[in-house]
Amino acid sequence: MNGLQSLSNDLAAAVERAGRAVFAVNGRARLGSTGVHWRPGLVVTADHTVHVDEEVTITGPDGRALTARVAGRDPTIDVAVLKVDAPGVAVAEVADSDAVRVGHIVLALGAGPRASWGVVSSVGDTRMLHLDLTLYPGFSGGPLVDAQGRVVGINTSGASRHWQLAIPAAAVNRVVDELQRRGRIPRAYLGVSTQPVRLPEPVRQRLNLDQQTAVIVVEVQAASPAAAAGLTIGDVIVSLGATRIADPTDLKSALRPDRVGESITASVLRGGEPKDLQVTVGERPRRG
Amino acid sequence: MSARDAASGTALPDIAALAEQLRRVTVEVTDGSQLLGSGVLWPAGYVVTNAHVVRRPEASLRLVDGRCVRARVLARDRDADLVLLGVPGTGLPAATLAEPESVRIGSFVAAVGHPLGVRGALSTGIVCAIGPIERQGRSWIQADLHLAPGNSGGPLADAAGFIVGVNSRAAGPLALAVPMNTVARFVQAARG
Repeated sequence: MNGLQSLSNDLAAAVERAGRAVFAVNGRARLGSTGVHWRPGLVVTADHTVHVDEEVTITGPDGRALTARVAGRDPTIDVAVLKVDAPGVAVAEVADSDAVRVGHIVLALGAGPRASWGVVSSVGDTRMLHLDLTLYPGFSGGPLVDAQGRVVGINTSGASRHWQLAIPAAAVNRVVDELQRRGRIPRAYLGVSTQPVRLPEPVRQRLNLDQQTAVIVVEVQAASPAAAAGLTIGDVIVSLGATRIADPTDLKSALRPDRVGESITASVLRGGEPKDLQVTVGERPRRG
Repeated sequence: MSARDAASGTALPDIAALAEQLRRVTVEVTDGSQLLGSGVLWPAGYVVTNAHVVRRPEASLRLVDGRCVRARVLARDRDADLVLLGVPGTGLPAATLAEPESVRIGSFVAAVGHPLGVRGALSTGIVCAIGPIERQGRSWIQADLHLAPGNSGGPLADAAGFIVGVNSRAAGPLALAVPMNTVARFVQAARG
């Protein structure tokens, strides 16, 4: 057997292995999506594909239709977790997504299973995985699988028509851990509205900042964590904890569910002068 | 040991050899002047291509060595998008056929053809799924692989270079190939 045949067998085996933990998710009207049996009784999928708030029908690899319940969501990273009683369905082997490197061969799986392949094209600041592969219709929420058949992320084409992304397994684990610890996924918030703003060159040089942009606070909600920390309209947030904030998306992804209750340093510019504020990340009040 | 030898344990030299192997059994199908598509040199002096490539009773074939031969249509199945051509004379190379239903989802596949007039172009990918793309439709090998006009009728092969299907068309970024069991049944029936 030559090298290509053995690669081919490895890829087919990887699809077979990972496919045992893959569900079809019928969470929206027209196009179904895919989910992964992440931990016993918990199926992870892409949040943007689940349009219902309570019950959703999912179909296992054996063709059995099961009723799952939406247990929690983290729209900041496009993850929804469904709770289901799925005895006999394999649980995915989840690998360390921090070991994923640019150039690694990866497979994307959709329910069926269906498969596409490609390489990791870049690893973003927040360790989101950018993929050089095709996510076919219905692949969102499905596993990104390495050549050994281990799950390293959850695929989503929800962020953009042009980017094929995967949420790294480590980020999914954090969300699932929170769900298991608290029984729900809290939504972290500061209570500010922001807009991107360009940093003036002299300010960047003086303060030794390598980022071109940051976010400016345009609204502070009353009685919010931001108000309690003394953030005011016009403050320019440059970083939050160790995370550089170049645009509002960075702020959103820095506010992970597991940070609720944590006290972190917000580095701001007020009147062009740097200032550090301690802010305790709050939980967004739930509706209803 | 040369660098080339050292690299022979990897899949890359295999792909070059595979491309050569497939080019030898892939023909250009023309109407005498214009390229219509691709075809596969089948065992026992036949060529298989798509019905939508050859609409007339005869076609011209150009082999990889530049030889041109006339071929006559022996059988046609529009539903399956297949045509069987008889090639006079002997001594032509022939493709090695895979066992029907030997392909697995995720396994490596390669296509050779003449997309947009580019002779002997190789594209590679994996099997995405096997089955219909619409309800009640016929079954396809759906490959995560790039096809373009001119690939029609050419071979889809596995990592060993064995033919697993005949490329028929693209559905967006997905390649659709007539599976080997359908092709084998068609050829069998045509030969009587």
